[in-house]
Amino acid sequence: MEEASKRALVIGGGIAGIQASLDLADMGIHVDLIEKKPCIGGKMAQLDKTFPTNDCSICILAPKLSECYRNLNITLYSYSEVQKVEGIVGNFSVEILKHARYVKEDLCINCGLCVEKCPMRVEDEFDRQLRKRRAIYMYYLQGVPAIMTIDKKNCLWFTKEACRICEKNCEKEAIDFNQKDELIKINNIGSIIVATGYNLIEDIDNDILKNYGYQKYRNVVTALEFERMLSASGPQEGHIKRISDGEEPKKIAYLQCIGSRTDRGAKYCSSICCMYTTKEAMIAHEHDNELESYIFYIDMRAGGKGFQSFLRRGEAEYDIKYIKSKIAEISIDKNESPIIVYEDLDTSEIKKLKVDIVVLATCIIPPEGIVKLAEVIGFELDDYNFIKTPPFSPVKTSRDGIFTCGCVHEPMDIPRSVAEGSSAAARAAEIIRGG
Amino acid sequence: MSYDIFLGCVIPARLPFLEASGRKVFEKLGIKLNDIEGFSCCPDPTGIEQIDHKTWLTMGARNLSLSKRGNGSIISFCSGCVETLKGVNYFMNKDNKVKDEINKILKKIGKNYDGKTNVKHFAEVLYENLNKVKENIVKPLEGFKVAIHYGCHYLRPSEIINWDDPFDPITIDEIIKTLGAESIDYDLKMECCGNPVEKSDMDLSLLMIDNKFKSIQQSGANCVALVCPACFQQFDFKQRELNKKNNSNYKIPIFYLSELVALAFGYKPEELGLKFHRVQPKTLLESLQFSAKI
Amino acid sequence: MSVINFKLRNQVIKHNASLSYCYQCSTCSGGCPVALLTQGKYNPRKIIEMAILGLQNKLIKEPNSSIWLCSTCQKCVELCPQKVELTEIFTLLKNKIFEDGKVPEAFLLQGQAILDSGIAIPYSKAIISRREKLGLPEIKTAPIKEIKLLLKETNFENKILKGSK
Repeated sequence: MEEASKRALVIGGGIAGIQASLDLADMGIHVDLIEKKPCIGGKMAQLDKTFPTNDCSICILAPKLSECYRNLNITLYSYSEVQKVEGIVGNFSVEILKHARYVKEDLCINCGLCVEKCPMRVEDEFDRQLRKRRAIYMYYLQGVPAIMTIDKKNCLWFTKEACRICEKNCEKEAIDFNQKDELIKINNIGSIIVATGYNLIEDIDNDILKNYGYQKYRNVVTALEFERMLSASGPQEGHIKRISDGEEPKKIAYLQCIGSRTDRGAKYCSSICCMYTTKEAMIAHEHDNELESYIFYIDMRAGGKGFQSFLRRGEAEYDIKYIKSKIAEISIDKNESPIIVYEDLDTSEIKKLKVDIVVLATCIIPPEGIVKLAEVIGFELDDYNFIKTPPFSPVKTSRDGIFTCGCVHEPMDIPRSVAEGSSAAARAAEIIRGG
Repeated sequence: MSYDIFLGCVIPARLPFLEASGRKVFEKLGIKLNDIEGFSCCPDPTGIEQIDHKTWLTMGARNLSLSKRGNGSIISFCSGCVETLKGVNYFMNKDNKVKDEINKILKKIGKNYDGKTNVKHFAEVLYENLNKVKENIVKPLEGFKVAIHYGCHYLRPSEIINWDDPFDPITIDEIIKTLGAESIDYDLKMECCGNPVEKSDMDLSLLMIDNKFKSIQQSGANCVALVCPACFQQFDFKQRELNKKNNSNYKIPIFYLSELVALAFGYKPEELGLKFHRVQPKTLLESLQFSAKI
Repeated sequence: MSVINFKLRNQVIKHNASLSYCYQCSTCSGGCPVALLTQGKYNPRKIIEMAILGLQNKLIKEPNSSIWLCSTCQKCVELCPQKVELTEIFTLLKNKIFEDGKVPEAFLLQGQAILDSGIAIPYSKAIISRREKLGLPEIKTAPIKEIKLLLKETNFENKILKGSK
């Protein structure tokens, strides 16, 4: 290999990391794309639609996913994590831990026979625990790579040395219980892009959500859960139903700033919720045009292109009622319908509203493992544990040759994540090409 | 183990039977309560503090300075006293200027307070000694379906009280379950009883407690347990008033937590002065095979 | 007419800086049991708003201020996303009203009892005999001289006198 042909490493296969990888690949630079989950796609793959155009999320994402898989300039390491980074800008060496899937990647054709027979039922992470999956599973329907994975924690062979029924049913003989985790070393890396995305406040701390009855009242769900409920490939196959009784909701309330902009949780604005609650209310309205939607907000933050008119459309065409009021707590009635008491700040009246479902717009938080990754790679984090960047070089981290894009940098929407992905790719290429 | 007992005003001067059960329970547990001479009103956090914070701090600090500081410092049977005494500690330790200002006043009577008297609610001490409580139970409270009323000042402000969860508490539930009784959940469990607002709006105060009673009746509970004398008066005294006013028919027996513990420890209702309750618990106690001679 | 009085606002902020953190989100008023039952006649958010603006006439001078309807349940304090110490701020405002001599009578009665005896509820003969029957010890409360001295120092005595007029 020529000295000049340095590679780029992208950590995180969500929309930001995918965009960065594709841009670099198009420039003729070889990319190693590392994804912790069994498939790339990230949070965008879990969404039903995207604002402000209300395009189908997976329809936009899927071609990019397969392009990442097909492109000869991209080597995809799914189910893998970065362990060690050595070297300096222009010449890093990276050690990657590739977790065993116990499925041979070159043989599995994603036919699903193994899944049908697997006796285990475990909570599906992708569907935010709203559905059960099996111990051998496809991370999600359109996932890339389209290869099964055995979840070691729940597989009967690994927990009780029993079963192995998937092995017996696989016509391709793709199951391999002897597979081991692999340590892979990649040398000759010119620059690295960190795009490990985000978590949500419900992933770590339910104390903040306690007053809203989350996980106590079944008809109180988070926005990402609701996104799965809206999705045609989700647990309710695109029919919005109350979790308590399967009834179709007639009134849905969306509560903003849950865990964000508060001294009791995240002190920053989660940035995307003002828009996505409107989007979710619009889509829900398209499912049932008699549905009443209420969005409770502190301040409406519609700073993006087309955002203000998006809100106006929500009000005019989708009958969304925007109510300026922060909700303190939720109770329920005998039918488990959430009851909200609030002060309508337009009139100062104290009102009561009974709805069928409450959707909590929970706050974006830095991704799990970011502190460790920052140590491994050696870049600084800001006060909230997002990646620190200088104001006039917004994708550059504190370490030379390391760039960032997407929500690991700070909460942002998809268009900006894509823009940052391209931006980080350009900066990474500068180092590799600029020599 | 020993504590200096801070009785306050409402319990010893209006509801002494609550004091009787409290003293008996701690005697049985082997926890000594020392009577100290010279305590004044704590003073009332819903009264004096509201009109004169400085007076409240001064009198509170004077009381705290009187503790002989046995191994547990001060214990109180009253949530209001506990809030005041913990609150005075909080404000004096938060700001040295406040401490100096108050001590300057205390100096006039030859006293000084360093901010270091530890204060505990009696339910706090019971919870910490739950095993001992368990060992002393001779008559488990089977059949008691208890609607627990924690009361605001037992929990909040959490920064001052520093005990149990301000909205989702467990301590009294655990004690009630340990006694063999059942804790019944009800919708308005965490709502205020309304006692403090009677000073400014009696109708509002009555409305607040009326809502609580409605919620308790719906829950299927057969009695109430609580840990604050202001709440006790609100719950025990206001039933008759409401019945007169609204034609309702409340007869919900109200127990102080110490009374329930004492009953489980085998004390007879007549030893505890249960006859002094306005809503007589006699029928309930009879139906649950507790001596009815009250 | 409402007159904005920054002096009052600054006094409150000096005493409790958390007032300036309020962003008027209405978590307090939405969670307040009294606001619900009084249909917003008592509204903690509005009181904080008036304090921020320094509306002295409305807060201090107006008789029967709604501020006395606060049940001090401290729910708002626990819920406030900005950790504004509402009850402490209300206490300061009520203290100012007291200085001005306009408090509900029940507070004055309690204050008077403290002035007279050092305790809020004096021991009646009936109670003393009931205590004996229950086997309870005699209570020796604070020497009233000491308490009187302290209450003179804090100017409590004068304020009670002013309020009682």
